Amino acid sequence: MFCGKEDKLETMELPNDSGDLGSEMEVDAFRRLFPLRFYERHLAESIRPDARPLSRARDTTVALGAVASANGSALAKIGSTTMLAAIKMEVMTPSVELPDEGCIAIEFHMPPICSPLVRPGRPAEVAPVVSKQLSDTILSSGMINLKELSLVSGKAAWMAYLDIYCLDADGALFDAALLSAVAAFSHLQIPVVSLNDDGKIVMLSEEQDDGNLDKGAVNKEKRKIALSSIPFSLTCVLHKNYILADPTAEEESIMETVVTVVLDSSNQLVSLYKPGGPVLARTSVLQDCVALTRQRIKELQNILDEAISGMEVD
Amino acid sequence: MVGLSVGEKRFIQGGIAQDLRSDGRKRLTYRPIYVETGVIPQANGSARVKMGATDVIACVKAELGRPSPLQPDKGKVAIFVDCSPTAEPTFEGRGAEELSAELSVALQRCLLGGRSGAGAGIDLSSLVITEGKVCWDLYIDGLVVSSDGNLLDALGAAIMAALSNTGIPRVLVAASASPDEEPEVDISDEEYLQFDTSGVPVIVTLTKVGRHYIVDATSEEESQMSSAVSISINRQGHICGLTKRGGAGLDPSIIVDMISVAKHVSEQLMNKLDSEISAAEADEDEL
Amino acid sequence: MTTKHSAVPTTYSPSPTSRSKPSVSKDSIVDWVRPDGRGYRQCRPAFFRTGAVNAASGSAYAEFGNTKVIVSVFGPRESKKAMMYSDVGRLNCNVGFTTFATPIRGQGSDHKEFSSLLHKALEGAIILETFPKTTVDVFALVLESGGSDLPVIISCASVALADAGIMMYDLVAAVSMSCLGKNLVIDPITEEESYQDGSLMITCMPSRYEVTQLTVIGEWSTPEINEAMELCLDACSKLAEIMRSSLKEVVSGSQE
Repeated sequence: MFCGKEDKLETMELPNDSGDLGSEMEVDAFRRLFPLRFYERHLAESIRPDARPLSRARDTTVALGAVASANGSALAKIGSTTMLAAIKMEVMTPSVELPDEGCIAIEFHMPPICSPLVRPGRPAEVAPVVSKQLSDTILSSGMINLKELSLVSGKAAWMAYLDIYCLDADGALFDAALLSAVAAFSHLQIPVVSLNDDGKIVMLSEEQDDGNLDKGAVNKEKRKIALSSIPFSLTCVLHKNYILADPTAEEESIMETVVTVVLDSSNQLVSLYKPGGPVLARTSVLQDCVALTRQRIKELQNILDEAISGMEVD
Repeated sequence: MVGLSVGEKRFIQGGIAQDLRSDGRKRLTYRPIYVETGVIPQANGSARVKMGATDVIACVKAELGRPSPLQPDKGKVAIFVDCSPTAEPTFEGRGAEELSAELSVALQRCLLGGRSGAGAGIDLSSLVITEGKVCWDLYIDGLVVSSDGNLLDALGAAIMAALSNTGIPRVLVAASASPDEEPEVDISDEEYLQFDTSGVPVIVTLTKVGRHYIVDATSEEESQMSSAVSISINRQGHICGLTKRGGAGLDPSIIVDMISVAKHVSEQLMNKLDSEISAAEADEDEL
Repeated sequence: MTTKHSAVPTTYSPSPTSRSKPSVSKDSIVDWVRPDGRGYRQCRPAFFRTGAVNAASGSAYAEFGNTKVIVSVFGPRESKKAMMYSDVGRLNCNVGFTTFATPIRGQGSDHKEFSSLLHKALEGAIILETFPKTTVDVFALVLESGGSDLPVIISCASVALADAGIMMYDLVAAVSMSCLGKNLVIDPITEEESYQDGSLMITCMPSRYEVTQLTVIGEWSTPEINEAMELCLDACSKLAEIMRSSLKEVVSGSQE
């Protein structure tokens, strides 16, 4: 009986293709009842339901300085996936083994506002996974030289708390989170501080700046962090022989095999994730994914550069 | 939860409309209040208050602590309320968690005043021993033993009685050599200072049923309420805190009217409590 | 928390934790000058935008000065399994803060008191009978806390509910007021709230002229309360106009 219904729907779909777009409800019903078949029909025509070609990522924007209470912040949007990243700088005593290095603590949050699947008190399962991937990627990419975060050798160093909040979850969470994190670091302004008599680091207020800056400040020249080899990523969904770049939440839930490639600005591979899934990727498929990522990071680099130059004009 | 038949509901609502409630009271009459002080010997002060079948215990414990760096000239007070699972079947397990939190917040709002400490029922600066170093931390715990409506007013009265029952030991501070050192304190075993309760407000909850409002509602009456306003009022007739419960909206003019009624009721309640507390203290001394 | 080192060292913020300003005495407060230069009776400019979160049934973003809030509404959807049958709908509210919402990095945890106050402010305005057996979830996230957080959350939540198409008697507008010495200031910022002697918050349905929630903290005389209530109610009805026009913008925008 169920099969019969399916056939009926398919026959209803057919006149649609031949120009009769009268029964939109039936398309919607078909999409809900047989999501995979709905997608496969599109894929056969090399198009996606949101009118993108398979290899095209969604519109991406970056806005810097979204949070006034943070030392560095950025809002990144890929399609409707929205990430807000903010960095707060605090002072710590460096460990004995690494007296000249600061530290970066990265946390990824999925508050209940971002998706119907997250409920208060029941955190999303993917949040800690993305959190770990982000901190592995950012720390291993060598984008930030932790020595730059040192203030007084062995005594004080910066601890950069990077918190990324997902405000709207619609697939490719890692890509958007990494983009917002990188943008937040490029917006980071390190406060001017001095060492007081108690051996504590204190902020120099604006009024004190002029007189005391020369003798008081311990980090006068290190207001910005130099970012070398910035990592960017692209997530693709694999289904049969198709590769779909930058999937939406719907695409991720229907076709479960995900590959995330992270390359740095000089096209070196930083990390590659393929956490299981029903499709076993051939090496050639992975090479295709890397090639797609290579194209994508050029776009992302431009978007980030534009955001930064936009800030400087202001 | 109170399960009432349509007839019972009509009876309660009709009685309130005619100023004759089902237990014979008028709209603004309290049930008999019974106060007993010193019920918990280990605490610095304690009291038990019964209003009809509502039965609550409050106890005050004082410990030496450190003032918060933001307010070095003030002691700290923490108020927590717990609802015993025996008080009502729905309180079993985690059923009373929400109610406990709501009562705790309402009492904090009524007794602790604004962020700067102004208008607090409990004078926080009287709890300081050495500024920035040593102060008293008061832990006020309320326990609902049996619940038959009007819990907030009963808890407020119990806390007032417990505070007037509270003796805080006299503390001698040895003059320390340098200001950086921790001062040495000597807590006296014999000398107690009576806690000043002249500023502690009473809480009056007006429950709106139909077009009228009543004081000291039983749980049957509370189940028929559209909304309730709890107002805490001190001896000067000033309002120290106000909380609204219940979903239905109220016309602002009704709220203004409720405030003036509550003020009138609070004077009677305050006198009643004062005499009950002093009688209870006298009873305790006799024993 | 993930760091390169296994043990997370204790950290502190280099900005002074306690405000170095001397505790404000009653004298100096006689003429309180608002740090942002507003008049006592002047609210911050309010901004609302609906549809901030696509994944939600309805959502809104609100910005009052430095206070920035997002509210998402989900549902009406199936109530939790453990819930008993109910012939009226349920409302479930949750308020959270980001770790960077406050000047000193916080824990980013849920705010129980605000969650329950948000629930109380909204429940009287929503027509719960229109979605029996189901639950509407209202989740708020404070991106940046700049004072008067709760009133902003409540106003923003009612815009989000309207965006989600949940039936309401009226929009709920909320305004708070701080009492500093003898002065009453409306829509206080964080700094004013930290010095306040008392505060009053009204949430109301302006078209029906009904108060859904009223909280008062600190010592007030009756005339003071009456004055503050009147000012807040007046501000609420103006705020509701802004909220309504933000909803209309979306509709007229989509028709074009």
